[in-house]
Amino acid sequence: MDKKSDALLRKLLKNWVYRQRPPDNGRARLLWEAAHASRSKIDLTVLLFHPQYKSYPSSHSNDWPQTLFTWINENSFQFGIQTRLC
Amino acid sequence: MSICAEKINAISDSELIISLQAGSLEALGVLYDRHRGLVFRTAIAITGDSEAAADLLHDVFLRLHRFADHVDPRRPLEPWLYRMTTNLSYTWVKRRQRWLRPLEDVADWLSGTRKDTPAYQAEMDDSWRQVQQAVSSLPLSHRGVVVLYYINDLSLQEISEILDIPVGTVKSRLHYGRQALKQSLGLLAGEILPELQYEFT
Repeated sequence: MDKKSDALLRKLLKNWVYRQRPPDNGRARLLWEAAHASRSKIDLTVLLFHPQYKSYPSSHSNDWPQTLFTWINENSFQFGIQTRLC
Repeated sequence: MSICAEKINAISDSELIISLQAGSLEALGVLYDRHRGLVFRTAIAITGDSEAAADLLHDVFLRLHRFADHVDPRRPLEPWLYRMTTNLSYTWVKRRQRWLRPLEDVADWLSGTRKDTPAYQAEMDDSWRQVQQAVSSLPLSHRGVVVLYYINDLSLQEISEILDIPVGTVKSRLHYGRQALKQSLGLLAGEILPELQYEFT
């Protein structure tokens, strides 16, 4: 590994990202919304998911990993639980 | 549970999470102030979109509040934040690629604010746009590793645990991501623009 160019790359990426700052009103907005939101009381710890591979149309075979990824992200995070593929 | 405002900065993340689990919004606010930079920088580096990063920042901490009972106060909070941020950022990018981007392009075209017009391009700094484009052109899985390694200074082992992939996979993705970035930014041939090289503070 070229350490000099690696250090330059790190500096470059940090300079790029640190140019932008999070919004100033973020804290107030977060606390307002959190105060009006209900906490999750779901008892489930694991969500088991059984994809039907054989029934999936072959014409869409390239789409299913992405669809599955999105589904797991959205559902497991929404309920705050793990997802396992079976 | 109430937290004394004067001593709030001396309170550990662990104690704040316990307070949050008990329903303290003050604890949530302190955790937000303490870690918002980490979450925002990670999100903006992966998405390349400041508005999306602001929304993801909000979403990550809202989920921290909502699912506080599932967070282990005995463990560091940062890995949880990194994991949540990268996963939500990945989802945002994938959604945008599939649906939102074509719709946004149509909307921009209809409203006359297309992002490839000379007026828009003039507003953006060419040099930084080059960096943003170089990062955004990386495959998503490589992008996440590169961001956690270079911008957040995490070790290969930490990245492996956060992304739940073997260390060897982290190394491989980092290698290819690094090579692609150096090539597109001209680092291999020493062509890097001088204005990008100022000292980071």
